[in-house]
Amino acid sequence: MFDALFQFFFDLSPLVFSQGEFRFAPTTGSYVAAVVVGIAAGLAALSYRSGRGRTRDRVVLATIRIALLAVILICLFRPLLVVKAAVAQQNFIGVLLDDSRSMQIADNAGQPRAAFVRDEFGAPDRGLLKALSERFTVRLFRFSSAPSRVTQEDLSFSGSQTRLGAALSGVRQELAGLPVAGLVMVTDGADTADAALGEALLGLKAEGLPVFTVGVGQETLSKDIQVGRVVTPKTALKGTTLMVDVVLSQSGFDGQKVTLDVEDEGTLVSTQQVTLPDAGTPASIPVRFSVTEAGPRVLRFRISPQAGELVTENNAREALIDVRDRKEKILYFEGEPRWELKFIRRAVTEDPNLIVTALQRTADNKYLRLGVDTPDELVAGFPKTREELFAYRGLVLGSIEAGAFTGDQLRMIAEFVDRRGGGLLMLGGPRAFAEGGYAGTAVADVLPVVLDRNQLQPKDAVSRMSVKPTRAGSATAVTQLAATEAASAEKWGTLPVVTTVNRIDAIKPGATILLTGTDETRRERPVLAYQRYGRGKAFAFTPQDSWVWQMHASIPVEDMTHENYWRQLLRWLVDGVPDQVEPRSMTERVEPGEAAELTANVVDPSFVELNDAAVSIRVTAPDGAISDVPMSWDGEHSGEYFASIPTRAPGWHEARLEAMRAGKIVGSSVTHFRAAPGDAEFFDATMRAATLKRVAEDTGGRFYTSDNTATLADDLRYTGRGVTTVEDHDLWHMPIVLILLVGLLCAEWGYRRVVGLA
Amino acid sequence: MSSAWRNALAAVVLVGATSAGLLAQDGMRGFGRGRASTEIASTVDYDGRFAFMRLRYGRPSGGFNNREPWAHDYPRADFHFLKILSELTFVRSVVDAGNIRTLADPDLAMFPIAYMSEPGFWTMGEEEMEGLRGYLEKGGFIIFDDFRDNHRDNLIAQMRRVLPQATWRPLDATHPIFHSFFEINSLDVEGYYGPVEWTGIFEDNDPAKRLMAVANYNHDLGEMWEFSDTGMMPIDVSNEAYKFGVNYVVYAMTH
Repeated sequence: MFDALFQFFFDLSPLVFSQGEFRFAPTTGSYVAAVVVGIAAGLAALSYRSGRGRTRDRVVLATIRIALLAVILICLFRPLLVVKAAVAQQNFIGVLLDDSRSMQIADNAGQPRAAFVRDEFGAPDRGLLKALSERFTVRLFRFSSAPSRVTQEDLSFSGSQTRLGAALSGVRQELAGLPVAGLVMVTDGADTADAALGEALLGLKAEGLPVFTVGVGQETLSKDIQVGRVVTPKTALKGTTLMVDVVLSQSGFDGQKVTLDVEDEGTLVSTQQVTLPDAGTPASIPVRFSVTEAGPRVLRFRISPQAGELVTENNAREALIDVRDRKEKILYFEGEPRWELKFIRRAVTEDPNLIVTALQRTADNKYLRLGVDTPDELVAGFPKTREELFAYRGLVLGSIEAGAFTGDQLRMIAEFVDRRGGGLLMLGGPRAFAEGGYAGTAVADVLPVVLDRNQLQPKDAVSRMSVKPTRAGSATAVTQLAATEAASAEKWGTLPVVTTVNRIDAIKPGATILLTGTDETRRERPVLAYQRYGRGKAFAFTPQDSWVWQMHASIPVEDMTHENYWRQLLRWLVDGVPDQVEPRSMTERVEPGEAAELTANVVDPSFVELNDAAVSIRVTAPDGAISDVPMSWDGEHSGEYFASIPTRAPGWHEARLEAMRAGKIVGSSVTHFRAAPGDAEFFDATMRAATLKRVAEDTGGRFYTSDNTATLADDLRYTGRGVTTVEDHDLWHMPIVLILLVGLLCAEWGYRRVVGLA
Repeated sequence: MSSAWRNALAAVVLVGATSAGLLAQDGMRGFGRGRASTEIASTVDYDGRFAFMRLRYGRPSGGFNNREPWAHDYPRADFHFLKILSELTFVRSVVDAGNIRTLADPDLAMFPIAYMSEPGFWTMGEEEMEGLRGYLEKGGFIIFDDFRDNHRDNLIAQMRRVLPQATWRPLDATHPIFHSFFEINSLDVEGYYGPVEWTGIFEDNDPAKRLMAVANYNHDLGEMWEFSDTGMMPIDVSNEAYKFGVNYVVYAMTH
């Protein structure tokens, strides 16, 4: 609209004005006329100095008259706009057509976005292609990831990604050496590339190659539901119940109830009714499900398509979880025989993926070892070396005082969390927390609660607490005691009270309270608190007798509350604890034919990074073909190795990493990735005007919408690139000049009428 | 058992005996000594510590020698044992109060180790039967002591009511319960009434799983504990009785 009005008033497009240079081209007559106009202006000023009317009216009328004469004078000096214009058929332009799947979305005046491309570039004798061909030699490219030359028949609109930067850089290089007036990019702008666009734009900017972008589609979809984001762990232990947040957004379905399903490789594992949030306000929905099958699993979070939805492909989002079926070993050190150890061990006895090895101190320097693998394990008591302690993935400290450890052992425990990445859980008891002398120790730094040696629970004082989850705790699997959130909350309300002999009032700034207790004085106390610390995590569970959730007379025999709680908590304790060879960042999915990038951290048994290990990956492709890919130290980050793994066929690839050092195996690990077409095209698939404007503005081009491309072909002539000729455009006969002159005359006449001087 | 622990136990027995003797002369005067009639009433509120739970059954009065069979050796046996337990181990115990409850008492659940004396005279109603079943299935542990001859028939019959599928299995010296604190390598023990037979009931009748109940047939640990301070029992005999009791408690608290 603005462009059309500008063109009407100024005879030329705004782009021509922005590219041109303003000059005057006066003749001798112009100077004579200037003298005449000057005299006329002087006479006008004199004549208005006195006479009829008020002084103010005379000033206004004199000003209008002089302005009128000034406009005439400017026109007599022949103002020009000098621009460099491309010589017809002497220059090239590159036209990039988006061939990705999002172009199939039917939001362009009720038609698919692809229809615009077909209409305008489908035949050389019509549309934009005709207009461009009359002025330039046109090179057509299609792109989704990398660009390639096309004919109209080649367009299928089935590309699984849109990489604007790669496409622009590719075409720039393709046309290098040719007189190129500019590039035209026809796209919805839904860039799916991880890489920033800036690098590609810098190259274009450096070369002075303008990009004229044409945005196809609507900036908002009228009716759509989108599963925007799902945050899942990369790995999970088989049988673990996960709570993940699913972010939903919508337009056109305010307040509607829909069903959110979770499928594990096609098997429904969770379903729940959710109320959609207000339009434009994404909402995070907690979803609970269990992973019961080992191996790489694709979890699909899906909302059934609703009537009238423009895009249904974005109603589902997939996430890959590597479900590990292995036994995670936890060391539980208990300082006095008590029921908590017995019932925690019982709770996880049936869990095939957890081993709780207990070191029970029964008397001074007397220990009972339970669940040890070898006769020598823990035979000398609590581990005295890092290698020995770091072989476990989780550590539970029961009612065992700090004085039972050496200073180095306390530091080892802190390093177990910080450096090894293990999970530490301290349980309440008379010898735990500040009452156990931990305040001021290295372990106190790790714990999520504040220990104050001046604020101890009085000896033999027992506080009884009823426990309930906090808001943050409700979003975690560990607090889920029943099938639904409401049933779980009700269950917490019926659990018997527990007791504590530790006074804990505050948590660390970075910690989160997951369970809270209300004591007899109605004071709130942390019951379960959590924080990340270094590479690992630490928990504080303050009651001394969660076993009453199993034994109490009000708890039925078949009730699984205690078992579920401890299984979930101990699984969380060891969740994500790294191995000695740990794949650190992984491309979950790559396009078939692309390379998957894998990095891995390699450490020795005491978790000191190794830079001199020989690390290799044995890759098993979907067809069973095996190949070995070496990993190399990245030379920058200690212990970090990198490899790029080529893929050929679509499907699952298994990557088995093994690190060797001095002829011995340091460690091994297995991970998976998938080669498959992505569905990112349909997420956030609105036309990205902001991105396309940025591309145009950063390169000196212009942004158009699909219904506003009338001046595109002409605008391209004035980019100043390629083979050009200089054009002078007289400005005196622009309609705006005539309108201005007539307007000033009318203004003088009108003013005179108003003030009675006509 | 190492010699160090043997010496320690002997020393503690003597200390405990002395203490218990003093206790009996003073605060425990009401409970009397030996087989005298007594008024029994004692419970403790749960506070996180171990309390010796003696089970009461049958009618409130009458019974053997003007004492209820369930109360034999009470309170001296219980207090002596608690004294030894707290001296030898890190088990935090209530040492100054008895704890007597019926199988139907809801608070029974707060004390997951229970001791029953003279199960040959054990009778129970439906509510008690349900109480014990839940107690054992949820994780409780019960010790049957002080029975002989055909008393075992009653124990078996009553337990069949509680756990119909359960079977009593003989225990040998390799079982972890005999190594949880003291190393008891031989079960060849001459009991109070004759050669002792050690039997137990396992969870799901699986010997690899938790032992839920243990029975000392032909033996009376309580009697040994009770008279350990009188000189009527040889130190070695008392020692052995305490060793079994301590091992039972530590096992039940860890398995």
